[in-house]
Amino acid sequence: MQSPLEMHPEDMVHELVELNRKVAKGIENLSHIRNEDIRVGFSPKEEVYREDNIALYRYTPVVEKPFHVPLVIVYALVNRPYMVDLQENRSMVRNLLNLGIDVYLIDWGYPSRGDRWLTMDDYINGYINNCVDTVRQRHGVEKVNILGICQGGTFSLCYTTLHPDKVKNLVTMVTPVDFHVREGLPNLWAGCELGPQGMDVDSLVDAFGNIPGEFMNLGFLMLKPFQLGLGKYLEMIDILDDEQKLESFLRMEKWIFDSPDQAGETYRQFMKDFYQENKLIKGEVKIGSETVDLRKLRVPVLNVYAEQDHLVPPESSIALKHYIGSTDYTLKSFPVGHIGMYVSSKVQRDLPPTLSQWLTARGS
Amino acid sequence: MQQTEQPQHNADALLDRWHELASESLKAWTAEAEGVGKYVAERLVATQDETLKFLKLSMNAWSAIAPNAGADGQEHFGTQMEMLRQQFLQLPVTMDKVTKDLGELWRLYLVETQKIQQPWAESFRQAPWHFGETASGPGTALVQMGNLYWDAYERTFGRLLESPSLGHTRELHEDLLKGFDAWLEYRRASFEYQVEVAEISTRAFEQFMRTLVARAERGEPVQGVRQLMFVWIEVVDDVFAEAFRSEKYIRIQGRLVNSATAYRVRERELADAFLKTTHIASRSELDEAYRNIYTLRKEVKELKKMIQGAKAHAPAAAVSKSPEATA
Repeated sequence: MQSPLEMHPEDMVHELVELNRKVAKGIENLSHIRNEDIRVGFSPKEEVYREDNIALYRYTPVVEKPFHVPLVIVYALVNRPYMVDLQENRSMVRNLLNLGIDVYLIDWGYPSRGDRWLTMDDYINGYINNCVDTVRQRHGVEKVNILGICQGGTFSLCYTTLHPDKVKNLVTMVTPVDFHVREGLPNLWAGCELGPQGMDVDSLVDAFGNIPGEFMNLGFLMLKPFQLGLGKYLEMIDILDDEQKLESFLRMEKWIFDSPDQAGETYRQFMKDFYQENKLIKGEVKIGSETVDLRKLRVPVLNVYAEQDHLVPPESSIALKHYIGSTDYTLKSFPVGHIGMYVSSKVQRDLPPTLSQWLTARGS
Repeated sequence: MQQTEQPQHNADALLDRWHELASESLKAWTAEAEGVGKYVAERLVATQDETLKFLKLSMNAWSAIAPNAGADGQEHFGTQMEMLRQQFLQLPVTMDKVTKDLGELWRLYLVETQKIQQPWAESFRQAPWHFGETASGPGTALVQMGNLYWDAYERTFGRLLESPSLGHTRELHEDLLKGFDAWLEYRRASFEYQVEVAEISTRAFEQFMRTLVARAERGEPVQGVRQLMFVWIEVVDDVFAEAFRSEKYIRIQGRLVNSATAYRVRERELADAFLKTTHIASRSELDEAYRNIYTLRKEVKELKKMIQGAKAHAPAAAVSKSPEATA
């Protein structure tokens, strides 16, 4: 049998010298980059509404006559929403604007200790509803279109079910619906099978108040510890002397580790009711005084998922079809992972037109 | 692989020296960076560090296996993997030693209290068997052995600590003991977790070695350091991903997280108790204040909405009463 390691000391030295040279050069480049140099969020926008720590932004339209019905993006509470407008050539927002869509974005901000008691009711019937009302008033329309992303998609499902009179069309993207799908490691770790033995959510919230962003991050990194903790940086060595690629890498890195804390009570309900007890598809989730019965969701729905998503497994998103009352339901997928939905060039090229055409066909 | 001992020794020395120099120089360079740049620079250094350590581990493992890769190759493979297992288990064993030292202190104390000595004697009687198994078997033996000490502690000193406290410091004493119990549980959970991760690491390395052999059989040997690392990462993440899904792992991880948070709750109770004696507001008091502010804020928002609603209706009502409107 041939030796599995065909590495001779002199070749190793050569490779290591080369490796070290690249790393040294890269670190030299890195040392010149200040935090403020890593710019994120490219498209011009203005703040049109603010309440507590949250803000509603309107992106400046780039066409003369944007769509009549504006689109409100509801992002997840985890990580920052500038991912949808990360950089000029990787901006879902920019691509939507180019197609004539009038885009609004809810920025959840960074919950402080004072936000520890915020509930899902506050987020959904409070913040989202107030933002939607603001957009409706500004445009003189009865209904808006909503694009809910990841956890924001789950929130949007609840919101649309509870406020059908305010939503014309709903787009959900990489949205978890069935939280007991085994393929999702986050589902298992959150206690979808073992309940509090897998994770005692009450104890966690009681201990921390707000759940630290670092804790959330650690959980995500642990899903692929070697690739995300080692492999990624090994791959990075090849782009260290390419300033543009290095900047893109740093932007992504900034986004990954820019993790807001999670409001304690909202985290408690989301983890227990959704992950552990799967109440959304059972029609048992209570937001404020009302129960979310997805069968009452009858607006047109476009459900977009990532085929290689390791955070929200495809089955979890696809399940939506079985639980909503909408007869106008469209399913679309892309051959990428969770993050690829924001940054992949194929998705950047194909998703915005898909979304635009779908909305246009439904009177937007 | 036709590697002799001498070249292997040279490669080791080379890697050690390289590791030393690279770490020093790269660490010095990262001092200039800041924020995300600094973090990434540090990760690069750490990656370089891991690469070299791993390279050494892989080469050593293979050089031990390769000369015997004939008929009894499987046996040598097993032996080498067992050695690796012991290396991976070093961390939990070291960690456990701290626990044993603590146990030893308690044992000495218990020598003085003949009445409750018996359970410790029992644990020591059983220990050699577990030591033997630990030296040659899977990590579960290590956990079992650890459990012996914990059980003994609970039946003796732990029970003693649980006896009702007396005097004016009674409540504080109670909190201290609860905190200590929570801390012990966290230590146990942490130990169990470390052992489990060490077991998974061993399996990953076994799989990695098998992958290398399979590649060699296909005529695709690994020819570079980074290539070796990428093969490792691909294999190890798969092994970990599979292990992470198992009920056993999720229970162990759950126990770790739950015991850590339970300890943190106890810790805060203690901090609150101490702060009560000072003029500093405790975390719990601040949380209570925040809760009140949250409730008031919500009420204000509702009232504002009601006022706005009333205002919106008011002009309409006024207009409807005006002669022009009715005309």
